[in-house]
Amino acid sequence: MNTNSNVYTVIYTTLICVIVAAVLAFASQSLKPKQDANEKAETIRQILTAAQFEFDASSNEAILGFYKSNIAEAFLVDADGQKTGTLDTKTAQIYGVSDLKAQNYNIKGEADYNLPVYIFKNGTTALPIYGAGLWGPVWGYIALDSSCTQIAGAYFDHESETPGLGGKIKDDPEFRAQFAGKTVNTADDVPFHIVKGGAPAGQTNAIDAISGATMTSKGLDEAINIWLKAYSNYAAAANNTTEEE
Amino acid sequence: MAQKLKETILNPILKGNPITVLILGVCSSLAVTVELKGACVMALSVIIVTGVSSLICSLLRKTIPNRARIIIQLVVVAMMVILVDQVLKAFAYAIDKQLSVYIGLIITNCIVMGRIEAFALGNKPWPSLLDGVANGVGYGLILVIVAFFRELLGSGTLFGFPVLSSLGYVNNGLMILPPMALILIGCIIWVHRSIDKSLQEK
Amino acid sequence: MEYLSLFVKSIFVDNMIFAYFLGMCSYLAVSKNVKTANGLGIAVIFVLLITLPVNYLLNKFVLQPGALSWLGESFANVDLSFLSFILFIAVIAAIVQVVEMVVEKFLPSLYSSLGIFLPLIAVNCAILGGSLFMQQRDFAGFGEATVYALGSGIGWYLAIVTLAAIREKMAYSNVPSALKGTGIAFITVGLMGIAFMAFMGISL
Repeated sequence: MNTNSNVYTVIYTTLICVIVAAVLAFASQSLKPKQDANEKAETIRQILTAAQFEFDASSNEAILGFYKSNIAEAFLVDADGQKTGTLDTKTAQIYGVSDLKAQNYNIKGEADYNLPVYIFKNGTTALPIYGAGLWGPVWGYIALDSSCTQIAGAYFDHESETPGLGGKIKDDPEFRAQFAGKTVNTADDVPFHIVKGGAPAGQTNAIDAISGATMTSKGLDEAINIWLKAYSNYAAAANNTTEEE
Repeated sequence: MAQKLKETILNPILKGNPITVLILGVCSSLAVTVELKGACVMALSVIIVTGVSSLICSLLRKTIPNRARIIIQLVVVAMMVILVDQVLKAFAYAIDKQLSVYIGLIITNCIVMGRIEAFALGNKPWPSLLDGVANGVGYGLILVIVAFFRELLGSGTLFGFPVLSSLGYVNNGLMILPPMALILIGCIIWVHRSIDKSLQEK
Repeated sequence: MEYLSLFVKSIFVDNMIFAYFLGMCSYLAVSKNVKTANGLGIAVIFVLLITLPVNYLLNKFVLQPGALSWLGESFANVDLSFLSFILFIAVIAAIVQVVEMVVEKFLPSLYSSLGIFLPLIAVNCAILGGSLFMQQRDFAGFGEATVYALGSGIGWYLAIVTLAAIREKMAYSNVPSALKGTGIAFITVGLMGIAFMAFMGISL
């Protein structure tokens, strides 16, 4: 057979592409429920880790169970800080990474957005952040006290940052530990700083960047600030209520 | 025949090493050699992917039209890698979290396609599989050597365990920057070619 | 003005070779003399310039979550982003295939000196990297994507021609015999990379 004829080339290429697309679509569809369950448990694990809980992370069920028994409320807020919806805590409904990505489009495009807020029974509030690192998206959770001014902890994840450099935002516990005890004021133009070469001593809203990972640190800094600003009206309201009490 | 097979296996590891002699797969070797663990994971994945994709393309070699071969090779390789990623994501999530960072690097690793172009398209499936695996090993070897020095001198650790840092060694921040990997590979070439003089360029 | 700063930024600050270390294999292998380097550099600019805008449109109208809404309401929730890798690669491979055929037909001498590295443009990480960066950075429009493609292509071109020029001169210097050729090229690129880090802090 003449494998160099035009007809053969076109048919063969189309056939391969169709087969590949079909295989991938089939795999992605049939495996989706299992993947989603895994991803959900992972997201909850990250929220819980950011909020400084000690828990059994050995199985998806254990993580979900712990979350359900410790969450007080979870809801959505808009740009004005108004509640626009609730997330069902009984089924551990959460905003996954793809939801964060969609909201990130809205924040940047100055469209209406609805951002999740997770409040735990011990008063800790966890807020997500999302942005672009060096190679792909970075996201994470920042846990604040109930007045939304003091950071209790943080956890970050990424899709494809360089292992050992940018990947440290996730893998290096020392980097994450820096967040605990810092303060943020979302009313500031830049609520939080990740400083290349080391944060100045005494500055309570800044931490050291990862050396050698300038772009990832910069991306994370941007993600944190854009998202914290998006929450600023909610945070101001939360701060007022705690002061009144 | 046996002699030829042996050569197929040994050649890519020593005389025809993909990184130092053929100059394939350099980008990824800069990215993943900051720590030994990452280098090992990447080396293992590349060994598997080069082997299997060489095998598949060798099986298909008589049917692939010459003018569309790049598309077909890439689509086949990418499909395999993405498929493995999807399956792992459903059944072994913890492993997938480690690997997913490397997916893009594996697909665009020139070794995979370089070996398909240069070997698998003209050879039978069995030698192609061996050639793919052997090239993966040759690549992994360089990766591990570079990562060893970069992690040891850059972070003072090996596999994350403190080695030099406990002796009062001050980490050399330059080692964790990508250009140092290039300079290290340059040094490996220096040593390699001093031993094997036939590889020296005039 | 924005276009201009994006253009300059993509050439120097975000240089594909020295800031991201993408496209290293063909960069090191095909930089022995200026003439071939020139040919490959132009091929890379060309491929980037076509694939990036095409992939931009693909991303905008097919792949992004909700991108299919132009097909009708019922498609508004379809998210095809899991296909982005394979589609980007298919587009790149198709363009590279066309370039290969054109070069083979009209510039046979360049074709033979580029050898295997011509089809390998398809897996030149600089090109896929360009498309992925484009997807991730959400360029505001078709124009920005095109300018970015041109800038990063020119950045790559300048880098390879510079290295080729250095290597041509180096052929006359007294390099230890085991380091001659490839070895000293690796080290030179490493040093050039460290020098280029000076651009990193500049924000345009």
